[in-house]
This record gives sequence, structure tokens and C-alpha cells, in this order.
Amino acid sequence: MAKRDAIPEVETYIDHQAGVIREVQPPAPRSKKAAERRANRAIYTALVIISVVWLAPFLFLVLQSFRSYLTEDGGMVSYLVPKAFSLDNYRFLFEDGRYLRWYTNTLTIALFVSVLQTGMVLSVSYVLSRMRFRGRRFIMNMILVLGMFPGFLTLIALYFLLKQFGLTQEGAIPGLILIYVASSGMGYYISKGFFDTIPKSLDESARIDGATRFYVFRRIIMPLSKPIVIYTILMGFMAPWGDYVFASYVAFGKSDSYNVAVGLYRWVNTLDFQGYFTRFCAGGVLVAIPITILFFLLQRYYVEGVTGGAVKG
Amino acid sequence: MADLEYLGLTRPQKALRRLAAFLTGLPGRLGRGLLGLLRALGRLARGAWHELRDLALTFMEGDWKTRTSFFIMGFGSIARGQVMRGLLFLLFQAVFLLYMLFFGGAYLAKWGTLGDVETTRQGRVTVYGDNSFLILLYGVLTLFFVLAFLYTWRVNVRQNRISQRLQQAGKPLKTAREDVAALADSQFHKTLLALPTLGIFLFTIVPIVFMVLVAFTNYDYNHQPPGKLFTWVGLSNFRTMLSAGSANYGSTFSQVLLWTLIWAFFATFLNYFLGMMVAIMINKKGIRLKKLWRTILVMTIAIPQFVSLLYVSKMFAADGLINSYLMKWGWISEALPFWTNPTWARVTIIVINIWIGIPYLMLIATGILMNIPADLYESARIDGANAVQMYGKITLPYMLFVTGPYLLTSFIGNINNFNVIFLLSGGGPMSMELGGNAGYTDLLITWLYKMTVNNTDYKMAAVIGIIVFVVTALINVVVYNMIPSVKHEEDFQ
Amino acid sequence: MRKIFALVLSLALALSLFGAVAQAEGFSGEVKIWVADAMVDLTHAKVEEFKAANPQYAGLTALIEAVGEGDSATNMITDVEGGADIFAFAQDQLARLVAAGALVELSEENAALVAEQNDAGSVAAVTLGGLVYAYPMTSDNGYFLNYDKSVITDPSTLEGVLAQAEAAGKSVYFEINSGWYQTAFFFGTGATVTYDVDDAGNLVKANINYASPEGLAALKGMIALAKSPAFVNGSSADNATNYAAIVVGTWARETLSKAFGDNYAATKLPTFEVDGTAYQLSGFGGFKMLGVKPQVDEAKLAACDALALYLTGEEVQAARFEQSGWGPSNLNVQQSEAVKADFVLSALAEQLQHTMGQGQYPGDYWSTATGLGDDVIAGKLNDLTDEQLMERLTQFQDILIGLANPQ
Repeated sequence: MAKRDAIPEVETYIDHQAGVIREVQPPAPRSKKAAERRANRAIYTALVIISVVWLAPFLFLVLQSFRSYLTEDGGMVSYLVPKAFSLDNYRFLFEDGRYLRWYTNTLTIALFVSVLQTGMVLSVSYVLSRMRFRGRRFIMNMILVLGMFPGFLTLIALYFLLKQFGLTQEGAIPGLILIYVASSGMGYYISKGFFDTIPKSLDESARIDGATRFYVFRRIIMPLSKPIVIYTILMGFMAPWGDYVFASYVAFGKSDSYNVAVGLYRWVNTLDFQGYFTRFCAGGVLVAIPITILFFLLQRYYVEGVTGGAVKG
Repeated sequence: MADLEYLGLTRPQKALRRLAAFLTGLPGRLGRGLLGLLRALGRLARGAWHELRDLALTFMEGDWKTRTSFFIMGFGSIARGQVMRGLLFLLFQAVFLLYMLFFGGAYLAKWGTLGDVETTRQGRVTVYGDNSFLILLYGVLTLFFVLAFLYTWRVNVRQNRISQRLQQAGKPLKTAREDVAALADSQFHKTLLALPTLGIFLFTIVPIVFMVLVAFTNYDYNHQPPGKLFTWVGLSNFRTMLSAGSANYGSTFSQVLLWTLIWAFFATFLNYFLGMMVAIMINKKGIRLKKLWRTILVMTIAIPQFVSLLYVSKMFAADGLINSYLMKWGWISEALPFWTNPTWARVTIIVINIWIGIPYLMLIATGILMNIPADLYESARIDGANAVQMYGKITLPYMLFVTGPYLLTSFIGNINNFNVIFLLSGGGPMSMELGGNAGYTDLLITWLYKMTVNNTDYKMAAVIGIIVFVVTALINVVVYNMIPSVKHEEDFQ
Repeated sequence: MRKIFALVLSLALALSLFGAVAQAEGFSGEVKIWVADAMVDLTHAKVEEFKAANPQYAGLTALIEAVGEGDSATNMITDVEGGADIFAFAQDQLARLVAAGALVELSEENAALVAEQNDAGSVAAVTLGGLVYAYPMTSDNGYFLNYDKSVITDPSTLEGVLAQAEAAGKSVYFEINSGWYQTAFFFGTGATVTYDVDDAGNLVKANINYASPEGLAALKGMIALAKSPAFVNGSSADNATNYAAIVVGTWARETLSKAFGDNYAATKLPTFEVDGTAYQLSGFGGFKMLGVKPQVDEAKLAACDALALYLTGEEVQAARFEQSGWGPSNLNVQQSEAVKADFVLSALAEQLQHTMGQGQYPGDYWSTATGLGDDVIAGKLNDLTDEQLMERLTQFQDILIGLANPQ
């Protein structure tokens, strides 16, 4: 792009209202504006296509959940829009006790995990971010190393550990909560990254004034950490909804102890259940609704949390 | 090589030079690592010697209170008036002894053989013998408990020494109230870390150690507790894994490993760049409805994967919606082999994973893009840089710099990305060209899941688990130390 | 006098003995039972009937869970102690369960009863190394051709079925990447694969002749099938769309009668033609059964035995048929008019004439067969010569032989 070597002539006009002389803004070169518009149009096209691709599966899921398993076909079909819209699948979910049971199980787990896990994660990340003590590096390295071991292998060992405490089968719900929470301190990275961004001078001045560490944590850091607290709660709440493998291990054939993932997975992948596909869709929609709403309400915090964490590692 | 010379090189030459430097430096680094290890061992030995000497001195110089504490933990503390501390020590000792007596001791005692009493039948009634599985598992648990006890015992002894000295010097000991207060202040990290550490020990470390040990046993189809015993076999499982012959493990393993790495590469970097592109598009000046676009994309995060992935997997099946409609519209005459052809299946999985992955990256990139100082772009624009140049010179380097650790963790995460593969393809399609139950889209982790669930082959699964660990650890060691933002953790704050 | 005294004494002794036995037979406590979801209510009802008929078991509490025949073995093997006392499973899991110590052999009386009341195939299926390990429950774990008679008018040849479906723009489902369905081709041409099992549930020897002209013909039949545009790999009627025929067993009947409506028909599998020779599709005939896990308490074991025997007896098998159309293994029930009149079970019975009883197979047999099937479906074998195909078959055979585990 050539630099303008001459000072362009400037047209002026008098703004009577303000009582000043203003420049008339020279129109931007036409070609540049057109290019800009073309680029924007391309971007809009791309975004629309992306949106369609992103939303389509969910739209399909919702559509199929309205296909009656009683009067139409509960399995998979080669068409998308049901011949008649019906709420049979949803009615089934509410009238058949199982699904509600699984749903409450998962909700219970999610609520407990979100609170307890937040406590664990914030404790660990606060300590690792704010305090310097012997063994700090060791703990961080240890957690890094442990994270590299494929966790699935330990399922069977975990199952028998839980069983020793009576936390399988009938006790699967507290058992799962315990497992999810117990090791959650290892996921400290993101919130540590967030704490790192809070200036240390804040605590130091408070410490000089005689505040204890606990006081600094409660009264100074926590109030500043709303985004990360909400982020951690949100993550803790969302994770239990998707766990299939471990939840099915711990429930061990006790269908009252299933979470929704295990229950619904069995509906579509076991020969016992024929014609449950649309009910699976409806069940999936019911699971997605609260999480989606919650997520959208708290999206801002999610972005802040995940950004801070990724930046800091 | 002189710095000036280096600066004069072209980009690929620079890259080559750096690679060469890395490779030539490798032996040195390994050597240094080895030396470091030896030095660490030396330190450990010295430390142990020091501890022992200190213990002996404590006993010899100790008064009767201190000496009794060697056998009855907390006795000294109680005798010196620190009743709360002492009681806690005593309680711990009591719990430990009870545990060993009624639970752990028996398991630990059989650790050498993993049990020798066979399960028998009396008539048709079963009399269960030893359970090797539980012996191994609770043995590990007990071992850690013993270590914890030894540590606590050591602390107890040291405290006696300190207290005794303080008293001899005529100084007051800490009261219970002061102890509690310290937990909220100078010892606050102990308070906060107590529960997480316990949790990680019990539910992460113990199971991992257990599984590592399983790799050295013959725990498989023919040796399943409680009906049968299994025992230690040394390194023979590793030999089976590395020998090409039996059951095709060796070549299958390298196949699966290769695909795991390819998958992790695409799943990480493709998503990374596409996510960044989408973020740039959405955040471009003049694009409206930014919030709407973002919200639409984020749907895939909000909806649990077992719903969305299971559904999408069925959509792409030979008789799924996509093929049905394509055929209905006459675009294709035969179903596209999304899940049946190995290459198609692999590509399909990577593409569907984009659908899952982009939103995360979009969110992260959005946050970071907003942080890039606007004047950088402004001055670039004045210098006449176009959009592509600005991206290459400003956006990308900045992003790479700040997201280095994220890229690494996400690469590791993708190596172990169980859900996507399990829910989409289940590892298939399989082939006679692959052995040991593996399919073309199996990652190491889904492969070993199948091994345990379908074949009860825990010993081999444990071996693969260890190898996965070694692979990821290697990648970590090489990459982690090259990331600038990790090196300078403190500078960043 | 003395004689009478002796008689009275021995009578008293016998009575007291009888009393003791009767007492030992009683049991109260929990018995955990795993059956398929569709059978939970029925099993509840039948357990109550059992308790009513056997007062010594009135104190028994049955905890019934919906764990299907497909899942129960995996669960049992994970944790025998925590698993069910009585559980339903498909016969291919028998050796695995025995090896894992999850099954106790039947008492001699019960074994004799089982052998007397059930068809020979089902008795063979629960027998391992001379011991009977389970109670046959159904004799319907086989597959046959289910089709829409408005589309398929002549189901006698595979080629014909495919052509008719293709003409109507519909699909034919046949899960050839499953070791279970695949044998329809191999056994049809006269190739076989079986494993010898020892008493401990170890598969000690493979008997296989896949690398033979018969095996080659079967493989070529599969390749030809996979090439047809109408072919879809699969056996889940639930997930199938737009189909005119599907090779599957009785468990899909409800879905199928909904999908085909009045046009639902079933018959034996068709023949297929390779190089001018026609072969009848064969396959596995299989069974479902109830097993009892090893018990440490004699009284509980007796209770479980009695309950399992009852739950697989004539009356309950008839009830299963009435409720869900499960094909009985009990000879008397098989002879009942209702069962004979059932067109789905008739098709199965017809196909059973051409099948082999399913024995025990190592876990890797199934995955290796899936590998072969996936290769066929992916078209990897389409352009190979007979020699090259034979190489594949030899490789397949070698793998299968290698899976045997000589002790």
C-alpha cells in the first residue's frame, strides 16, 4: 500500500449547533470498502453454514424425540420429521419410574460433586498459587505424572476399594460422589492460573496488617474469584452427567443406582431393549435442557475461567 | 555457531539447525539426567543415614518421656502438657495397630505369593481360599498405611526432641490453641491440602500402583479370583508384548500407537487452528450477532457427550440419517462407508471431533484475542501489513505463546480420549490384519478397555497402560521443558 | 418283638433323618436374581408362586434386577462375590463363567431332571466336560430370515432376496461381521470351527477347516453378499431402517411385527450360490440358560437350586413364551399347540435343522471373526484371487488355532 505523500485537501463545514468548524471525513477508498464487505459476506456465509452444521444434530435429536414409540416407530427410521408429533416418549419417561430415578440420581451426584469438588479444587489451587512451602514443586510434578497414567485401568481397583466401604451397588451414588470428588484436586490448573492473575501485593499488605492466611483466603481472594468459583461449580455439575463407564461399573447391575448415562446407553445398546431409540432421544433432550440453560446463564464465567486457565496452564 | 550467522539463515534452515542442536544435545541431556538421578539417589542415601543418626541421638539423649514415645506415640507430648497433639498421635497409633491386626496385616503377610490357599469344594458347597486380587489391592493400601505410619512416627519422635530441647532451654511449648491457630495461618497449606491429598492417595495412587503391579502377575482369563489364584511372574508379560509372534501383539501395538499419535495430533492441532479461525471470524470488527454465533457453537459443550456422540454415531451409520437422505436425494447410490472402511472411519472421527472441539478453542481464543494489545495491530496496519501477515506475525505467535501448556495438556488428553472413540466407533472397524481385539480406530486406551472387559486380560492391559504412561511421559518431558510460559512460572505472576 | 422294635427304630431314624433334611432345605434370606428387563415382572410373580408352593422357602427374599443375558457374564466376571446368585446368560458365555468360577455344577438329581425335560441341544449346551453347569431356559438363540412378504415373495435364495429388495429400493440386513452370524456361510458349505473344552472351562483345542474349498466357497458367498447394494451389515431391527429382510432371532419379533405389520413373515435362511453350487445357509443354534453361582452356605445353595429349577421348568417356560414369545427348551412346552402354531418359532425350528449347536469359543474368536467380516465389508477382499483368499483363510484359521490354550 502506497503511503500518502501529499497532505490531502480537507473539506470543511461549519457545525452551527456546536459552533465549531469540522472536517468532512473523506470517504474511504471504494475498493477497500467493497473488499471489506465481501470479506464480511464470506464470513457470514461461513458462520451460517457452521451454525447449521452445529445445530443440526440437536435439532434432529429433538425432532426424533417427538416420534411416538407407540403409534409410529420407536426404533431408527430413515426419515427425520415424525409423521405425527407426539409426547408419548416424554410421557413414558415420566410415568416409568426408572428414568426419573436415574435423573434424580444424576442430579444428586451433580449437586454434591459441584459443591465438594469446588472446595477441593480451590483449596489445592489456592495453596499452589499463593503459598510457598517445602514439597510444593514435588506435589505439582506428582500430579502431572499421575495425570499421565490412563485412568481407566484403575477402574477395577477402584471398584473393589469402594466395595470395601459398601459404596457399590446400593451405595453407588455416594460412592460415585466420593470418587469424583476424591481426586478432583488434581484438576487445579485452571483455577491456579486464575489465582496467579490476582496481584500478590493484595495478600502481602493484608498479611502486614496481621491478617491470617485463612482470613486472606476468605476475605480477600474469594471475593475476587467469583468467575473461577462459578466456573468450577459449573464444571463439577456438568461432568457427572456424561460418565458412563465408571458409573456402570459402580452400579454393578443395580438399576436403581444408574445415572442417566448408564440407563440411556443401555436403552440403545442392549438387545433387551427394542424400540427405545426415540425414548433415548427424549431422555437426552431432558438431560440437555437444564445443563444448556445453566451453561448459557453462566457462559461469561466459563469463558473467563477457561481463558485464564489456558493462558496460565 | 555465531549468533549473527544464525540470524542470517532462512526459516527452514533455522528450524533444521534447532532440531540438530536438540538432537546433538540429547545424549548430553540424557547423561545429565542420569547423573542427576545418581545424585538424587546419593542424596536419598545421605538423607536416610542422617535420619537414622538423628533417631539414635534422639533416643540416647532423650529423657524417659522421649524414650517412651518411641513405643507409645504421643506419650512425650502428653507428658509435656501438649495433650491434644499427644492424643492425636496416640489415636493414630491405635488405629494403625487395629488396622494391621484386623485387616491389613493378613493381606500384607501374603504379599510374597499373593495367596496359596486354593478355593475348594466340599460336596457342592464352595470354600473360598485366598483372593489374590484383594491381597494385592489391600496389600498396596496397607503398604501406604505403613509408610504413613512410619512418617508419623518419625514426626512424633522429632517433636519430642524439639520439645525436650525447648524445655531444657526454658522456653514454653505451643498450646493446643496455638496449634489450631497455626493451621489457619502459617500451616494453612496443610489444612487445605489434607483432604485432597488423602483423596488422591486413596483413589488415584493406590489404584495406579496396584495396576502397575498387575503387569508383573499372571492375572488373566485362566487366573481369575476368587475361584483361582494368580501370582508374580516377573517381566514375562513385557516379553510377550514385545515379541512379534504371539497373538500379533507387537505389530498391532505399533499400529494402534501410531493411530493414537495421529489422532492426538489432528484432534489437538486441527481443532486448535480451526477454532482460532472461527474465533477470529466471530470477533472481526463489523460482524454482528457475535453472541449468537458463540452461543450456537457452545451447544456442543453444554450437551453431554454420551447423548450427542451416540446420536451422531448413529447418524453416520450405513443405514443412518445421512446415508438415507443422500440416497433419497440420489446423490449416492450406495451407502458411504463411514464406519466400515478404516480410512473413512478415521477421517469421520477426526471430523466429528472438530464439531466437539472447536467450541472450546473458540472460547479460549476469544478470550486471548481480546487480550492482544490493539496497538500491535494498529502499528502493523500502518506498516502496511495485510490480514494474513498480521495473523502470521502477531496473532499466531501470541496465541502459541500463551496456550503452549494448554496445547500440551490437550494433546495428552487426546491420547487418552476414551469417550469420543468409545461412543462413536467403539474402535471398529476391525481387521484380521490387527490382532488382540484391536480395531482401526482404537486408541491405546480403548484397546485396553476392551482387553479387560471382553477378554479379562488384565495383565496385558496393565502392560499397555504402563507403555501409554511412558509414551505420554516422554512427550511431556520433551515438550514441557520447551514451553516458555512454563519455564518462567514465577515471572508470569 | 425284636423285629418290630428294630423296624420302629429304623423308622424313627429314617423320620428323624428326613426331618433333618427337610430342615436343611429351608432357607430364608436374600437371593439376588438377574434376568432380562422384559422378564423382571414375570420372574417376580413366579418367585412368589414358588414360595407359595414351597413353604420352607417362604422366608426367601428375591432381589430381581434387570441385567440382560448379554451383560450378566461381564458383570459376574468382574465381581463374582457381588454378582447375582441366579443369573440368566447366553450359552456362549458358559466356558468364560466356569473359568471365572461363577457357576456351580448342578446336583446329580437336578442334572438328570434337566436332561429329561429339555431338548438334547440345550442339554449339550449346558454341559461342559461331563458336568452340567446351568438350567436351560430357552431354545431360541438362533437366527433365521425375517422378511416383508409384500416385497420378498420368494425367500428361497439369497440372490433372489437381494434382487427383490433392491428392486423395491430396500435393504437386507445380515450381520456378517459377527462371528455368530458369519457361521451361516461357513457351516453352510461344510466348513466348521469348534473348540474342545476341559473341565475347568479352558479351551484346549481348535477343530477347524476354514482353509479348505468349503471355507473358500463360504467366503466368496460373503463377498458376493457384501457387494450387493441392498446389503447392510447389522442385526439390530431396532436400528435398521427401510429394510425388506433381516437375519435375526426371535427377540426382534415385536419390533419386526411393528415394522412389517401384516406382511411380517419368517422362514429358514435362504440358500446361496457360489460357482454354480447352491448351499443352504446354516449357523448356530443357541440357548439361554439360568446359572447358579458357587455358594458357601449349603441351605442357600439348595434354595437357589430349587428356585432355578423352578424358573426354568415347564410352567415358567410356557409363561415366557406366552408373554414374550421366547422359544422353550422344555420338551413338553415345545409340543404345545400354541408353540407349534407360532410362525416365528416354526421358522426357527426349521432353520435349526440346518444349524450346529453352539459350543464354546474364546473371546478372541468373536473379534477375529469381526475382523474378517469387516475386511469383507470394507471391500478389501473384493479383487483377490482364490489363492489370495485362501491365504486369508489360512491366516484366519491359524489365528483361531492359536487361540486354543493347551494346558
